[in-house]
Order: sequence, then structure tokens, then C-alpha cells
Amino acid sequence: MSKSKTLVVLLLGALVISGVSLSSISTPAKAQDGGEAVITPVACAEPGELTMWVWDDNWGKIIGDSISAWEDTYCPGAEVDLQVVPWGEYWDVLTANAPTGELPDVFNMAQDRFYFYAKNDVLLNLQPYWDAAGVDTTVWGTGLVDPYRWGDNGDLYAGPVNWDTVAVFYNKDMFEAAGLELPTADWTWDDFAEAARALTNPDEDVYGAAVYMEYQAGYPNWIAATGTTPDVEAGQTRCTLQDEGSVEALNFLKGLYDEGVMPSVSIVGGSSADDVFNYWASGRVAMITGGSWKLPDALKIEDFGWDVVQLPKHPETGRSRSILHAVGYVANRQTANPDLAANLILYLVSDEGQKFFAEAGGVAPANPSPELQQMWIDSFGDTDVNVQTFVDATVDSQGVTVFGEIWDAINTEIVLNIFDLGLSVEEATQLACEFIDTQLPE
Amino acid sequence: MSSFLNLFGKTPLTRRRALWGLLLIAPNTIGLFLFFGWPILQSFRLSFYEWNAFNTPRFVDIENFQRLYDDPMFRKALTNTLKLVGFVVPLEMGLSLSLALLLNQRLRGRILFRTIYFLPVVTSTVAASIVWAFVFQRRYGLMAAALEPFGYGDLNWLVDPDLVLFPIVVVTVWQRIGFDMVLFLAGLQNVPRVLHEAAMIDGANRWQRFRHVTLPMLSPTTFLILTLATISSFQIFDQVYIMTSRTIRGGVGGSARTLSLYLYESGFGQSSDYGYASAIAFILFMIILGITILQLIAQRRWVYYETESGE
Repeated sequence: MSKSKTLVVLLLGALVISGVSLSSISTPAKAQDGGEAVITPVACAEPGELTMWVWDDNWGKIIGDSISAWEDTYCPGAEVDLQVVPWGEYWDVLTANAPTGELPDVFNMAQDRFYFYAKNDVLLNLQPYWDAAGVDTTVWGTGLVDPYRWGDNGDLYAGPVNWDTVAVFYNKDMFEAAGLELPTADWTWDDFAEAARALTNPDEDVYGAAVYMEYQAGYPNWIAATGTTPDVEAGQTRCTLQDEGSVEALNFLKGLYDEGVMPSVSIVGGSSADDVFNYWASGRVAMITGGSWKLPDALKIEDFGWDVVQLPKHPETGRSRSILHAVGYVANRQTANPDLAANLILYLVSDEGQKFFAEAGGVAPANPSPELQQMWIDSFGDTDVNVQTFVDATVDSQGVTVFGEIWDAINTEIVLNIFDLGLSVEEATQLACEFIDTQLPE
Repeated sequence: MSSFLNLFGKTPLTRRRALWGLLLIAPNTIGLFLFFGWPILQSFRLSFYEWNAFNTPRFVDIENFQRLYDDPMFRKALTNTLKLVGFVVPLEMGLSLSLALLLNQRLRGRILFRTIYFLPVVTSTVAASIVWAFVFQRRYGLMAAALEPFGYGDLNWLVDPDLVLFPIVVVTVWQRIGFDMVLFLAGLQNVPRVLHEAAMIDGANRWQRFRHVTLPMLSPTTFLILTLATISSFQIFDQVYIMTSRTIRGGVGGSARTLSLYLYESGFGQSSDYGYASAIAFILFMIILGITILQLIAQRRWVYYETESGE
């Protein structure tokens, strides 16, 4: 078995069992006084200079603060040149810089892009550093870190920054106006459909739901609930979109679309999860699926009351499964300061370094320390929004099963074909699988 | 040595002049070679390699071109590009000539109109495309509002594979006619009055004067615009990239993907298949070169240069 095949199997196999992976997060034990830190940073051996790239402005600020703390406490004299390269150009700029050897020493990585960089031997193996620092990499749970493992031994090449899960954001005012009871975590697809119908008001141009767009926050969550792996089978062996579960989930969503309960992509005006979110924020739709990363934006909404609830459960499997994704910190294999880069990453993922994320009220820290998880929930202040929902969604979650930009296009195409151009689920999934087959490794 | 120097002229004086001339054009020529010529040559070389910016380039002979031949996405992109050229060039030229003719008359406020029609030229394509994407948005767009009374208010301009090229043609033509109009206006003002007067004396009516005086005298301008319009239509990129990016870049099933966009996606997409992208660039280059040469040959039959004798 080739190196890459082994990895793919390992990596995807692990994704499937990510369901149980985060149970440590989901049941945050009460923070114990003087409880031991999950990951403890160590002082750097020798200060030096590093460059670092992140793609998010907010993260830039948070990470900037934690880096300052690292420079002060653990590595006096070290200097980190932190740059924010916006997501829209991040991967292009990385690629453009690769041939010139001007890659940053440390940079953010997405699970679905890791494969390409690992395969091309761009990344520094952090496993020796985890070992040296006494970090047990299984503390993170498989769904979070296994997509970042590479090589025959499953070495961990990234330090996970955060986790993201998906839930239903709903407009409370609309529920109340329609005289509906607010949804609870044990609701089913049938309850969801019923509510969506009741909330639709064609005269006012108001839709009940928009829950299918994009991979992470869209239709794959529904496929996962049926017990089918969305899009591609573990090991990248096979397109699963024509499987019974996929067809059932997509037909359920298409049914709602055909009834006029959900808007088409072209009516929303765009196919990204952000487009759907903005559409919801404008009060045009009652329920959407959205990621935990949208909480800060949602909290700025003043026009209507809202809350989040777990994805509805599939009537037969009784499961709701959120797609889970984690961003990582990786180091450049050719960095002049590998020890320093690894030391910085160790700090950034440690309890101390992750505190900056937990307090910022944005993304949830990947470090499973119950204290940090609670700190993250508390960081949203005394809101009535049920933030815990996202933590709960990590329990039975589905890791990312697609790899890279071409998959974004495939997902959008499925969505447009079904929810805009009127193709049947069977036709659209057949087209998608035909194309996916050409993209799978031999 | 002397035979080498003879290249620059036969006498010392002409040689010195030639050397001076070469020296004076050197900054430009060297710049052109460094920043255009060299990269083009490199890109041509790269089209025979497999390279993703991270691996060591591997020579693959003509494999990239064979892949292109079998690639349905490439064929689709080629067809779309040809369609765009076919729609944009005649529309652009026809409309800009009509405008130039109108604004060449003693019209009240013609300077103002000329400025207005030229405005899109100085607008950035990206900004214009974003605005036009709103215009063509389904249901809420300006176009939907305009067509609503005729029962076409719900056309899915930017998603429907049968419609998506239309908005792109509109933006492209809208943005280019101003520039062509200015060229045509300059051409029209160079038509000597005496020719019109002579034709009038010979009893030619307005149409005959346009057909037999204006058009032939305008033909060098027309040829210039035709060449420029064709080349730039083969390179359409920004409009498609922006207008389809909110739904799906390049359209459903690649229905709006042009050669330039496909080139970009192959090279700068996540696979960063630079060899393949270079092969597309090379094919695009050959198509444009071929068509330009054809146009140059054909122009002998229809372009009239006043200064030439014996035409």
C-alpha cells in the first residue's frame, strides 16, 4: 500500500468515527480547582524570527495577542511577523510564493486543503515536537486532528486551532407570529418540515427555510443524519451521492423547495453559506443552517429575536449529525527555525494560548479543556442564545470528507442543479458522481 | 567583425545612426523581453511539463496537449469563447459605429454625450461587473423589473446555462463601445469633406455617400477596431469571474467558462496544474495569432489606405 493511500484510509477512516471523537468536549466536566492543564507550553530554546500567515482579520488580532504573550513569557527576544492574507486569495498567494521559497514559517491550514500540501511535502512533521513536549495528540479527538495526520505512523502535522459545528439558526419572532412552539433539540425532520411550511408566506416573500447551500453548512449535514457519508466514501473510494441515504436527504430538501418553502440560490443571490446567512439576517427566511463561526455576526442582529437549535433528527436513525471542521496551524518544512516554529505552535494550542480564542467570543477553541470550553460559552455574555448547542453538536458529528477547491464547485453545482435548474435528485447526483469519479485517486 | 557590423548599415555614418537608434529603443525592448518575451517563452516550455509549484517539474512531452484534446471542459470553454467573440465583436462594432455617426453630427450637447458613452471605459471591469450582476439578479434585479410586464421577470440570467452568456455579452459591449466610438469619431473626422462634396455633386444620396465614401475611408479604423475587439474578446475573463462568482464561478457545468478563466482555474486553482494551464495559454495564443494573421491577409481586400497609390 502506498504511503498516500495508507494515509487516506487512515485519515478518512478516522473521520467516520469522529462521531465519538469529541465526547470529551460535549460533556464538559466542571472545571476543577487547580486541575491540570491539557497542554502546557514550554520555553523556547533560542529566540529568533518567524513569519506567520492567517486568513482571518479577527483571528489576526486574537493570534497577535497570544503571540505577544508567547514572546513575553516563553520566548523573550523572538519576533513574529504576523500577516493577514484574506481567505479569497490565501491559497493562491501560498501557491504563488511556493516556487520562490518565500512561504511563511507558520501558517493556517484547512482540513480540506491539508492533503495537497502534505502530499507535496510542504509541511514540517510536528510529531517529534509533540512527543518531546509530552503532548498526547489523542486529547483532541479523532475528528479534529485525524485529517491532519500523515505518513505511515499517522504523525500529526498540525496543531488544531478551533472546531466548527453546524446548527439551525431560527427567527424567534417568526415562530411566535405563526403561533408555533420553539424547536427543541429532539425535533425531527418531520417537525422541521411542518414548521418550515407554517413559516412560509409567499405574499410577503418570506420563506420557511434555506438549509441546503454549501458543503459545511448545507445539504451534507442532512445526508450525514441518515448514516451515509456525504459526497465521498471514507478512503476516497467512491461517490456516495447516489446512495439511498443521500437520495433520501436530497429528496427531502427538494420536496420543501418544490413546495415553495425554500428559496432557490438565485433568489438568495449567491450560493455561499454567508449569502444564506445574510438573507436570514434580512428577515426573509425563518430557518437556516449556519456554523458556530457565525455567532458573533448573529449577535449583532437587532431587528428580530433569534436562537439556535440542533439540527433536526432523522426520523428513523434518530440522529442529527453536524459536519465538523477544524483549522490548524502548520509549519513550513523548509523554515530556518523549525524548533522555534514548533514551539510557537505548541504555545498557540496550549491551554494558555487558546485562552485568547476562548475569551474572544468567536471560534471555539480546539483544546478540549472543559474550562476553555466553558470560557468560550461564557464569552458571548449574558445572551439567551443557546450557545451550548454547538458544543452538543460535536457529539455525533461528521468530519469533512471532501478535498479542495474542485469540491466547492461540485457541491455548488449539485445545489444549483437541484434547487435552481429543476433537475431531479437522481439526475443531479448522477452528473455529480460522474464528475467525482474522475477526481478520485486511482 | 566587419560583416557583423554591416548588419547595421553599409557606411560608418549609417551604422552609427543605427546603433544610436538601437540604443534608444533598448530600454523598452529589454523591458518588453524581460517582462513579456521571457515569461511567454517560459510558459511555452512549461506546457511540456507537469508542475504544481511544489513538486519538481517533470517533463511529460505533449501529454498536456493530449489531455486538452480529450478534456470536455476545455472544449466547452473553447465553444463559449467562440460564442462570446461571435456575439461581442459585431455588436460592439455596430453599436460603436452607430454612436460615432450620431455624435459626429452637429448635435446639441454632443460633448456631454461623448463623455457619457466614454465613461464605462474608465470604469473598472470588476466594479462594473459587480453592479451588472445585481442588475441581472433573478427576481430582485433591474432587468427582472424591466421584463416583468412582458412576463419574463423570473429569468435566471446568471445561473441558467442557456442565458448566462447574455449578461456577459452585455457588460462587455457596454464597456467597450465608448473606446471604439472615440476611434471611429477620429476616423470620421479624417474623411476629407471634398470627397463628400464631390459625391454630392455626382448626385449620391446619404446612404450612397455613407456606403461609398465614409465606409471605405473609415476602413483602416474599422480594421484596427476589429483586430482589437477580436483579441480582447478571446481574452474575456473578469466579467465572467465576477458575475458568476456568487453562484458558481464559470457557470453550471462550465456554461460560462471562457478559455482565460479555464486557464486561470487550472493554474491557480487548488490543483495548481501550471503545465496544463500553460498548454491552454499556448493554444489561446495560437488561436489569437492565427486569427490576427488571417485578418491581416484579408484586410488587403477591403481596407483602403488613402496614402497608398494605385488602389
